[in-house]
Amino acid sequence: MSSIDQYLALYREHSALLEAHSHPVLNAHRAQALAQLEAMGLPSSRAERYRYCNVEGDLAPDFGLNLRRSLPVGDPYKGYRCGVPEMKTALFYVVNDVVCSADGKAVLPEGVHVLPLCEAATRFPEVVQRHYNTAATRKADALSALNTLLVQDGLFVYVERGVTIEQTLQIVYVSAAAADMMSNRRVLVVVEEEATANLLMCDHSMDATHQYLSTQVVEAFVGERAQLHIYTMEETQEANARYANLYVEQQAQSQTSLCELTLHNGHTRNQTEVRLLGEGADVALNGAYIAAKEETLSSDIVVEHAVPNCHSSMLHKYVVGDKGVSAFAGRVVVAEGAQQTLAEQTNANLLASPTARAFSQPMLEIYADDVKCNHGSTIGKLDETALFYMRQRGVPEAEARLLLQHAFVNEVVETVHIAPLRQRVSALVEARFRGRDAGCQEGCTTCGGHCI
Amino acid sequence: MLEIKNLHASVESKEILKGIDLTIGAGEVHVVMGPNGAGKSTLGHVLVGNPRFEVTEGAITFKGKDLLALAPEDRSHEGIFLSFQAPIEIPGVSMTNFMRAAVNAKRAYFGQDPMSASDFLKLLREKRKIVGLDAHFMSRGVNEGFSGGERKRNEIFQMAVLEPSLSILDETDSGLDVDALRIVADGFNSLRTPETSALVITHYQRMLDYLKPDFVHVLMNGRIVKSGTLDLGYEIEERGFDWIKEEIGA
Repeated sequence: MSSIDQYLALYREHSALLEAHSHPVLNAHRAQALAQLEAMGLPSSRAERYRYCNVEGDLAPDFGLNLRRSLPVGDPYKGYRCGVPEMKTALFYVVNDVVCSADGKAVLPEGVHVLPLCEAATRFPEVVQRHYNTAATRKADALSALNTLLVQDGLFVYVERGVTIEQTLQIVYVSAAAADMMSNRRVLVVVEEEATANLLMCDHSMDATHQYLSTQVVEAFVGERAQLHIYTMEETQEANARYANLYVEQQAQSQTSLCELTLHNGHTRNQTEVRLLGEGADVALNGAYIAAKEETLSSDIVVEHAVPNCHSSMLHKYVVGDKGVSAFAGRVVVAEGAQQTLAEQTNANLLASPTARAFSQPMLEIYADDVKCNHGSTIGKLDETALFYMRQRGVPEAEARLLLQHAFVNEVVETVHIAPLRQRVSALVEARFRGRDAGCQEGCTTCGGHCI
Repeated sequence: MLEIKNLHASVESKEILKGIDLTIGAGEVHVVMGPNGAGKSTLGHVLVGNPRFEVTEGAITFKGKDLLALAPEDRSHEGIFLSFQAPIEIPGVSMTNFMRAAVNAKRAYFGQDPMSASDFLKLLREKRKIVGLDAHFMSRGVNEGFSGGERKRNEIFQMAVLEPSLSILDETDSGLDVDALRIVADGFNSLRTPETSALVITHYQRMLDYLKPDFVHVLMNGRIVKSGTLDLGYEIEERGFDWIKEEIGA
């Protein structure tokens, strides 16, 4: 008996209801996802890419699903007042997996569309159909398949050719329910030729009394000379499990940066797959993780250099304390003929307690002969010499540790190129190290103290 | 001010200091000279409480307090400062944040509120002038990308900010050219008051010329084997240490 059975049974029993509250474009993909899940089941810890995850365990509880798409009580736009100071984002709330109406709240420039996926499937049928569930199915993945099977709606972020939106688009996910709850989240991002967008995705859970499970699939398509910067920030709780798959496909001369920040969590698996499909494409994948208690993060990244003259860089830095676990697996694949590839890969781990564990697997798979690829990985503890130097100047040991750990992670924070967001993230990281919940601003009472 | 009695200290079970006796009064500058490996740096590090060294015997009182009972940070608050022989780099921790943490920790130790941002910046500005350290160093990581000379100047700058009553200079003069040495020594001298003392570890006459110490001690094989005045320092510069070895029958 596998944990997947209950989800398959649920689907078979309620598929009519589920599909009635979704859209034919999304429904069209369920049969294949079902067949895939029936055939492959859930990945066990023997599966290399899921080695440090307990998928069976995370999916075992009897989670509720909001198949009838009941709307959240209250207006989240009024309730959640948290935001980044000095940065006015175009804000979209998703409570569990229900997209809350943003009518009139975010005014977007012409050519920029952010709307529920089902609505988008009607308004932009061609664009949605052409992209939906294409990147996510190139390689079979059980969690993406499970998401495709159960997802009912999501968000569509569409920036038309040549349009630049200065304002950051922010999607705030909030897990909030009266029972243990599963959310299946989906985002389709299409940034056309020479368009530019910044996307900030925050993941919060309201309380620690319920278990929340989320599956998330984000597919992003970045056109020629387009730019897309995605920031993800997780501040959930110990009882939270998150399986987030991000797929990015980039055309020639496009630039993408992906920055993943995990400040509070339970069990998280972030899988990122980037395909550089046009010459001159550039991607920077950065990530920072601070683990305490028994938090675990598994970060699985694959960058495929399919054509020559592309650049990719990876910088992931983790500070692991208590009984926390970090697992990094980064793979750069350089296809045959993808000459002049430039790829850098760094993962550094700081173990802050004797019971913390870090696993690091930097990997290169190169089928071309004229490339420059390097990778590095470190696992260590704080520099005792630096610690003593600071104490000699009067900085108390705890403060010195904090400053050193903050400095370690700050290298990643520095890559956030939106200044107010960078300052905010830096402050959150500091608050996190000080043992406080990475708190929000005064006046925010509804987010459980976990908003950005 | 400082009284060291029969101090023994080891590193990784190897005894380095084998019974040091030394008293430093307020306003005095003492120089410690000695061959390599004699234990000079160890003495400095033991005084500031480096956990790498284990004190196995003896006592140290500083301004009437049992120094060995104090944590390194508290020794710093009480007024002991060590200018490191090889100041290390701490990437990512800016000089400003580092100094702010140090200054405010000291204030907290004495029950004072943190310094206001404007007062703090003014303090940094004033103290930078003493050793001619440019403003841009303050936004850099501690010693990050600093040259050897800049690192030593940075040590004296930190000393100026923290205003210790006992400064230990561990070969602060080594690796400095004549101009840099003058800046460092002038900086140090300008910070001297009738109440501040110093323990200076050096190999060079130039440092003696600049600092005009009251006493010179020779440390050999973990013990102070000879003490004198400035003349002793010049004699060592001229004749080396061998004659002292012979004199004490080592």
